Amino acid sequence: MPPEGVMAGFTDVPTEILQIIFEYLSPRSLNAISRTSKAFHTVANSPIIWRHLCQTQFAYWAPHHDIVAKFCGPLSAVDWCGLFIQRIMDEQRTRELLNNVLGSQKNRINHINEIADLGYDAKEVLLKEYNCPDDAEDVLARRYYAQAILEHIQRELAIKVWEDLGEGKDVPIEVALGAYDLFTQAEPGVDIDSVTSGLDSLAKGVLKEYADFPNWSPRKKASTLVTFLRDHGFQGVSDSAYRALQNSFIGLVLSSEGHESLPLISVAIYCALAQRLSLDARPCGFVYHVYSIVYAPQNTSLDGENDPNIRDQEFMYLDPFRSPNEVPKTELQNKLRELGIPTSQYEEFLSDTGTREMVVRTARNIMNSVQTIRQTNPGTHGIGSWVDTSPDMDSAFYAALWATAMLTSRQEGSSEAAIRARRRQFLPFLLDQLQEHYPWDAVLLERHIIPLFASNPDEERLRLFVNSVRDLDAMPKRIQRRDETATKVRFKVGQLFKHRRYHYEGVITGWDPSCIMGEDWIRSMDVDGLPRGRHQSFYHVLVCDKSIRYVAEENISPSTEPPSSAMLKLAGRHFKRWDPVAGVFISNVKDEYPED
Amino acid sequence: MSAATEQPKQTLTVTTNDNVDIVVEREILERSVLIKNMIGDVGEEQIDTAIPLPNVNEPVMKKVIEWCEHHRKDPPAPEGDDSDSRKKSTDIDEWDQKFMQVDQEMLFEIILAANYLDIKGLLDVGCKTVANMIKGKSPDEIRKTFNIQNDFTPEEEDQIRRENEWAEDR
Repeated sequence: MPPEGVMAGFTDVPTEILQIIFEYLSPRSLNAISRTSKAFHTVANSPIIWRHLCQTQFAYWAPHHDIVAKFCGPLSAVDWCGLFIQRIMDEQRTRELLNNVLGSQKNRINHINEIADLGYDAKEVLLKEYNCPDDAEDVLARRYYAQAILEHIQRELAIKVWEDLGEGKDVPIEVALGAYDLFTQAEPGVDIDSVTSGLDSLAKGVLKEYADFPNWSPRKKASTLVTFLRDHGFQGVSDSAYRALQNSFIGLVLSSEGHESLPLISVAIYCALAQRLSLDARPCGFVYHVYSIVYAPQNTSLDGENDPNIRDQEFMYLDPFRSPNEVPKTELQNKLRELGIPTSQYEEFLSDTGTREMVVRTARNIMNSVQTIRQTNPGTHGIGSWVDTSPDMDSAFYAALWATAMLTSRQEGSSEAAIRARRRQFLPFLLDQLQEHYPWDAVLLERHIIPLFASNPDEERLRLFVNSVRDLDAMPKRIQRRDETATKVRFKVGQLFKHRRYHYEGVITGWDPSCIMGEDWIRSMDVDGLPRGRHQSFYHVLVCDKSIRYVAEENISPSTEPPSSAMLKLAGRHFKRWDPVAGVFISNVKDEYPED
Repeated sequence: MSAATEQPKQTLTVTTNDNVDIVVEREILERSVLIKNMIGDVGEEQIDTAIPLPNVNEPVMKKVIEWCEHHRKDPPAPEGDDSDSRKKSTDIDEWDQKFMQVDQEMLFEIILAANYLDIKGLLDVGCKTVANMIKGKSPDEIRKTFNIQNDFTPEEEDQIRRENEWAEDR
C-alpha cells in the first residue's frame, strides 16, 4: 500500500495480485515482464505461475510425466519452470522435424520416429498441424504426415498394452480390447480412456437405478446387470449386421447409439461393468459363442448365504448377448455334444477364458469381418469407399495382425515350435502391410516383435527387413531427370488419371522410360500383349483404394474431374496440394523428380 | 445515483480515508465480501455508525461503487477453486473496458481497493486490464509504459536473456 496521499503504481502492487495478473499472460509476455526488473523477475519465476502455464498450455502429456499426480501434489515437488520449458522445446523440435519430413524423402522415417518418441507430448502440435488452413502451401502433405505420426504414436500405445498382456501383467479386459480402438483411431475421442470412463458411468447408472444393488445376492446382481445393459440399448446385434466391423470395437460399441456388438464384446462389457460393482464375472469362450461365468465370493452361495462349508466357489452361466436368464450348465453340455466335441474337452469350453485369449479371438473376428467385406464387394474392393467407413478396414486388419503376432506367443500348452509356426503365418502379411503403408512402423517391429523371436532363425530375417527399410530411408533418392532418355515420357508426376481399362482413379507418383520390372512380372501381367508392349513409359501410381501400382502409359487417361476425397486424403504422402487451375497435384518428391 | 428518489432501500454509510462519508445501498455494497462479512446478519437498525474504510479514498471508492452498481445483478463469484485448470481469457466486456479507461494511478488504486474490499469481479477486470497493457510489448516498452526502474546490471540482463531464449519464437 503506498503511503497516504501518494497514488499507486505498478511497483506497489503486492505479490499475490501480481500473480493474478501474470496468470493472464502468455509465456512470451511473461518473459518480457520478467526482464524488466528484479522484483518482477522474482514474481514471474514463481512456481505457481509456471504450474499454471503447464496446466493451461498443454492438453496432452506423455504418460511418463504422471502429470495428474504432479498437479495434485505439492507445488514444490516439481521444477515447473523446467518442465514447461522442456515441453516448449519438444514442441519446437516436433515442428522442426515435421518440416524435415515434409521437406525431403530422405530420413523421413528417422524424423517420424524421433517425433513419435515424444509420444503424447507431440500430440498437441501434430493436431494443430493437422488442422492447418486449407490454403497452406503444403496442406495435403502436412495433414497426411501429422495424422500418420499421430496414428503411429497411438499404435505403439496399443501395442504396449498387448505387450503387457503377453508378459502376463494384469490388464483389465476393457483396456486390452480398447487397444483396438486406439490402434485404428476408430473415431476421434474414442480410446482407452473413453472406454474406461464410459464403463464408469454405466456403473454409476446401475447404482442410481438400483440403490440396493450392493446388498443383493450374486445371482440377483448377475441377472440384473444384464437387464440393465439390455435396457440401455446393449442388445447384441441382428444376424444381418453380425459381421459389421465396428461390432468388434469396444470403444465404438460403447459410444455408438445402437451399441451393436458381437457376443465377445457384450460379455467384455458385462464383465468390466460387473468388476466395477464388485461382482466377479469372467468370459467363457465357448464354441462359436462367448458366455459369462459369474462366481460367488468365497464361502458364500450364489444366493448370498454365508456357508463356511462351501469348498469350491459357486458359479453360474449367463448369455449377456441374448438374455438376462441364467444358462444351465446342462444346456451348454448338450450343445457341446451336438457339436461333436469329445467329453474330455468339455471342461476347456466350460471354464473361464483369459483376457489374452479374448483379444486373440477379437483379432480373428476382425479378420473374418474384413474378409466378409472384401468378399461382398468383389471387384470394387473398397475403391474410395474406405474414406467413409469407420473403423478403417485396412487399419483394423493391421491391428488384428499385430495383436495376433504379439499374443499368440505364449499360449499355454503349445510347444515353442508350434508358437513360432503360428506367429510366422501372420508375419508375412504384417510385413507387407507395414512396408506398403506404414514403413515408419519398422521401429515398432524392432522394439516389440523381434524380442519375441530371440535366438530364432526368424530373428535375423526380421532384422534384415528392418535394416533394409532403414537403409532405404537414409539413402538419397536416385534422381530421375527429364534428359534425352526420358523424352518419350508423356505424363508428369502429379497427373490425375482414370485407368483406361479398369477405370479406377489414380495419380502418378513416378515414371520409367520403359518397364523396369523383372521378366516374371512382365510375363504374369502379359505386358508384351499390350499394343505398345514393354518399351513404352511406365508409371508408378497411387490408386484411390490405397494400393500402389505400376501402369503402362497407354492405360493412363488424364482425368478431367477434380480428385475424390479419398484421393485427396492419400495424395499427401507424395504431394503438397491440389492445383485446381492446372488440374494437377503439386509434387513433394522434387528430390527424386526435380523437373516434374 | 438516484437512490434517494426511489422506494426507500436499506442504505449504509462508509467513511473513506480522506474522511468523506458516502451513503450507498446495502445491496450494492455487499458486492464487497469484506463489508458483507463485516456487517454479517446485522439488521439495518443496528448499523447506525459509518463503516470506516482506512485503505480507500473517496475518488477511488466512488469508482468502486459505480462498478458495483452496474454489476449488482451479477451472480456471485463461485466459491473455492477457480484458479488453475482453465486457460484465462483476457476478454473484457464493453462496459468494463470503458470503465477502466482511467489513468494508471487510478487503475492500480482500483485494483488495490478491489483486493482489499474483496470484490473478485472487479479485481479480475483490473488485472485483465493490466495484462492487456503488457501483452505484445518488449521489456523496454513495458518499462516505459509502467515507469519501471531497470535495476539489473548488464551482466544480469545478459544472463536472463539467455535463460529466456526458448521463448523467442513463441
